Amino acid sequence: MSTRKPSYTNPRPCKHLSAYKLKHGLSGYKSLQKCLKTTPNGRTSVENPGTKISRCSSCNGYQGRLYFCLICSSISCSGHTLLHTQSEIGHDLAVDIERAELYCCACSDQVYDPDFDKTVMSKHMLDLSYSTNRNSADSIGERLCERKRLGSGVELADLNKSGQLALMRDHRAKSCYPLGLRGLNNLGNTCFMNSVLQALLHAPPMRNYFLSDRHNRRTCRKRSANRLCLPCELDGIFSAVYSGGGDRTPYSPAQFLYSWWQHSENLASYEQQDAHEFFISVLDGIHERESKARNQTRDSGDCQCITHRVFSGQLRSDVTCMTCGFTSTTYDPCLDISLDLDTNHCSNKPVKRNDNSSTSTLLGCLDLFTKPEKLGTDQKLFCQNCQEPRDSSKQLSIRKLPLVLCLHIKRFEHSLVRKMMRKIDSYMHFPFSLDMTPYLSSSIVRNRFGNRIFAFEGDDSDNSTEFEIFAVITHSGTLDSGHYLTYLRIKEQWYKCDNAWISEVDERVVRASQCYMMFYVHKTLYYKAKEDLSCLPVSTRKEAFHRVAGCC
Amino acid sequence: MRKSVNRQSTPDVEENQEDKEPSFQELINIELIESGEKERLMELLRERLIECGWKDEMKALCRSFIKKKGRNNVTVDDLVHVITPKGRASIPDSVKAELLQRIRTFLMSAAL
Repeated sequence: MSTRKPSYTNPRPCKHLSAYKLKHGLSGYKSLQKCLKTTPNGRTSVENPGTKISRCSSCNGYQGRLYFCLICSSISCSGHTLLHTQSEIGHDLAVDIERAELYCCACSDQVYDPDFDKTVMSKHMLDLSYSTNRNSADSIGERLCERKRLGSGVELADLNKSGQLALMRDHRAKSCYPLGLRGLNNLGNTCFMNSVLQALLHAPPMRNYFLSDRHNRRTCRKRSANRLCLPCELDGIFSAVYSGGGDRTPYSPAQFLYSWWQHSENLASYEQQDAHEFFISVLDGIHERESKARNQTRDSGDCQCITHRVFSGQLRSDVTCMTCGFTSTTYDPCLDISLDLDTNHCSNKPVKRNDNSSTSTLLGCLDLFTKPEKLGTDQKLFCQNCQEPRDSSKQLSIRKLPLVLCLHIKRFEHSLVRKMMRKIDSYMHFPFSLDMTPYLSSSIVRNRFGNRIFAFEGDDSDNSTEFEIFAVITHSGTLDSGHYLTYLRIKEQWYKCDNAWISEVDERVVRASQCYMMFYVHKTLYYKAKEDLSCLPVSTRKEAFHRVAGCC
Repeated sequence: MRKSVNRQSTPDVEENQEDKEPSFQELINIELIESGEKERLMELLRERLIECGWKDEMKALCRSFIKKKGRNNVTVDDLVHVITPKGRASIPDSVKAELLQRIRTFLMSAAL
């Protein structure tokens, strides 16, 4: 329903470009294609046939930007392009020789034409297919293919099922906290569990799923007698936490803890654990249980269990040979993204930076994550095209975004001094609204070729790339001993969840906190509902269910 | 229209006729291009300038300029004119030194 922002925009042509296209169509581009020279790292230039050195026809200069007229093939430097259009009427369109970019001499500005970029891109693919001698060049530049559309929304509740929820304003409560906010007791160093549970309890698709009774404890127990079921226990917590009128005192998720211990025996103790490890383990437990129940052994790419429907995304990894440009691409599913901090630990940065850029930011970490990484010369990979080990570069990007994006910050590093791992406490700035467009595979791959206007697989997805944060898990302390907290954002108000204690906090506190895991949800699923859910009048249960489970 | 009529004067270019003796600078340039060394140097320079954050700085300068002027009131030429002096001034000395060294090595081997 949100206005779809295309991943690449098609700027309107100037009148000179339109006139040129009307008169000459694509013939100029096609004949230029023969002169185009491509490099393995995505650069395109115009090769002047014959003489190697291009010179301006007016001043004989060879320095700076040179432009190649599409009509008469004469070359002008940037100082003389205007002269060229004045002396030869209609010779407005030229191409920047060094960069293969369209330039309108009359407007004295760069112009953009998808047909031109298509010509450039097809030259790249042509050159690559010649060098690889393959018929189906599937490396740089993808074919437009049908994008698989997995069900992204959770269907509306089965309204016939009865549930325990009744929405009633609790007049006894001191402050009208919204529904679903309830403290969780610490059962012995279990803040790692409580913090993750709070985030899961407020992930809109998870909440909708469990509150619509999609995993019914009674039917589940009937089906498989006496088996410990993590989703059942989670369902129990959802019911306890979201029961309106009912108990608002802190809840003890003991049953859940016990079930989880059964699932992750190696982590079963009263010692402190890592929240991220717990998170992955819980998701795995739910997936195992759900896929067994449905008798499916599909891999996580197609799995329809609630875990994968909510958190599963897909990463794309491109390994490019630095000699010939051949790229091998692999896709891997992921439930979350672990990011390295983008602190400037290396001191060999000669360019002076102002204070603003020395703080870590989430966008900086994401930039680092999707930055091409040159694999060391001792890590030469075998290039299929060159048929020998070559220096390569690797680049990650996101092919498919999940409904709920969990970003985990790797706040630990190897200390060279003490020869052990230590925690990184530096502050990292993170936004409340996040647009993931620049980190999508389509953007990253397009960027390799100078940001050409060119459709890539997955471009025409309807899914929005805009996310809103709803939970932040923070950690304070050291690697061995510390404390986890969760900040939840419910209808523009932030709440601090410190085990059993819930309190309202100002957003500045959240912004200043040391984030460890951040949970973002698709903007379309993030309600900015004006009504307070907990203040709805008591009505039939059917209607109440509809309110809670409905999307948009 | 003949080229000689209405020709703009270009004060910073010394050579106006094609049959004049090429300057030393031009000779070096020709040699660099023909041997392919210029392209290698350009690649090296690009890599170094990205690594040290110079490219990001220039991008930021462009963005702030565009924000100030308004997206529809800026041409590529404007941007080039604005950031060229700042860009030239902010190139790290280590990058300059490395490239100079490479060029020196090339000149010695090219026996010009």
